[in-house]
Amino acid sequence: MKRLRKPDDRATQELIALIPRLRRFARVLTGNLADADDVVQACLEKAMLNLDQFQPGTRLDRWAFRIARNTWLDDRRRAANRKAHDDISEIIDLVGEDGVALAEASADARAVRAAVDALPREQRDVVALVMLEEFSYREAAEMLDLPIGTVMSRLSRAKAALAKKMRPSGEAA
Amino acid sequence: MTGRFSDKDLAAFLAGTLEDEAVMEAIENAINADPELAERVEALAREDDTAKAVRTAFAPVLAAPVPERLVDAASPREAERQKSAMNAASLGDLPEPANDTGGSWRWPQFAAMAASLAVGVLVGGPLLTGAGPGGDMGGGALVLTGTDSAALSPDLAAMLDSAPSGEAVELGGQGSGTVVLTFRNADGQLCRQFRLDGPAATSDALACALGDDWRIEAFGRRAQPAGEMRLAGGDAAVGVIAAVDEMIDSDPLVGPDEAAQLEAR
Repeated sequence: MKRLRKPDDRATQELIALIPRLRRFARVLTGNLADADDVVQACLEKAMLNLDQFQPGTRLDRWAFRIARNTWLDDRRRAANRKAHDDISEIIDLVGEDGVALAEASADARAVRAAVDALPREQRDVVALVMLEEFSYREAAEMLDLPIGTVMSRLSRAKAALAKKMRPSGEAA
Repeated sequence: MTGRFSDKDLAAFLAGTLEDEAVMEAIENAINADPELAERVEALAREDDTAKAVRTAFAPVLAAPVPERLVDAASPREAERQKSAMNAASLGDLPEPANDTGGSWRWPQFAAMAASLAVGVLVGGPLLTGAGPGGDMGGGALVLTGTDSAALSPDLAAMLDSAPSGEAVELGGQGSGTVVLTFRNADGQLCRQFRLDGPAATSDALACALGDDWRIEAFGRRAQPAGEMRLAGGDAAVGVIAAVDEMIDSDPLVGPDEAAQLEAR
C-alpha cells in the first residue's frame, strides 16, 4: 500500500518516542514536572522547526537533549526560580505496578529524588545524562561542551553527596 | 604522566569515594590534559548501585502518560492536511514504546502516530477481522483514521453501545469482545474497558463516549507466553489498567443501571 511518508517522518516518530525520556531529563533539571513539561514542549517546538538541521545518521537523542538543556538555560527566569517539588510520588499511582513492592520502594525513591533535587545544577546535568540516560562520560562531555575529566569529577562529587544521603542513618558514623 | 595514579585511585575518583580534595582536583586536571589517561579512566567506569537507585527513583516519569500538548508539539504542521489520507499501517510500523508498559499505547501516542505517519492506524490485524469503514482496510477491529476521530468497526461500536458488562459478543466471526467495566470519567462521559479475544492474542482497550462515537483512550496487547494455555482471567494490559485508574470517577455501572445509562447516552 502506498505510503505518504515524508523524509523526516522517521525523525518525527523518534522524537515522539523520546518524549518520556525528555520529560525525565527536564524533571531533573527543573526540579518539578510542571516546569519540566514546559521545557519539553518548547524543546519539541524548536526541534520540529529545526528538523532539517538534524544530521541523519547522528543520534537524535543527543541532539534533542541538547536542545532541551539549552531551552532550560535560555529561560533564565525559570532557571533562577527553580522550585524543587517531588511531584513524581503523585503520578506513581498511575503506573500500576505491584502495590506492596511499590510502597516499600517509594520511600527510598522519594529520598533519592530529594537528594538529586538538592544537588547543584552542574552536578544534576551529569547525573541526568550519565546515570539516568546512560550516556558515556565522553558523550556527556560532548553534549555539555566540557572536558571529560570535569564530567567525571562532577559525577563523582554527585555520587558522594547522594551516597551520604542514601545511606541508612545507622551507618552514619 | 599516565602512570602517576594507580587504578585504585582512579576507580575511587570515579566512584566518589576519594576523600582528598587536592587529589580529586589533580586527577581531574590530569585527565583533562591527557587523552591517554582519559581513555584509561573511561575503561574503569563501572555501573554502580547509586545509578541504579537514581534510575528507579525517576522511572515513574518514563511510565507516566504523556500530556497531549507535548505530543502535539512534536506533530508535523501539515498533519491537518494529511489527516484525510487513509492508508493502513500495521502496528509493526510504529516505533516501540519508549517505556516498559508492555506494548500499550495511550490515546495521545496513538493520535501522534496517526498524525506523524499521516495514515490511519489499523489495530487488530490477525487478532480480529471485520470490514473497516474504508472497505479496503484488510480487516481489523479498530481503525483510527486521524488525530481526533476513531472509527470503530460496526460490530465493535454496537458492542460498546449496548452490550452489558460480562457478556461476550461475537465480532465478525473471528473472535469475541467482552466489556469488563463501565464507568463515568471526571467529565461525566461513559467509558468502557473491554477485552478482545482473537485466535492469536488477547488485547485490552478503553473507550470513552465522544458524541455518538467512541474514542479509544488506551489499547494494549496482553503479554502471552507462546505455547502456554490461555488463562480465562489473566491480567489486562498494564497501560489500559493505568488509563482506567486515571479516568474512573464513578462506581462501576452494572445491571439495569448500566443498561439505562447506555440507553440514555
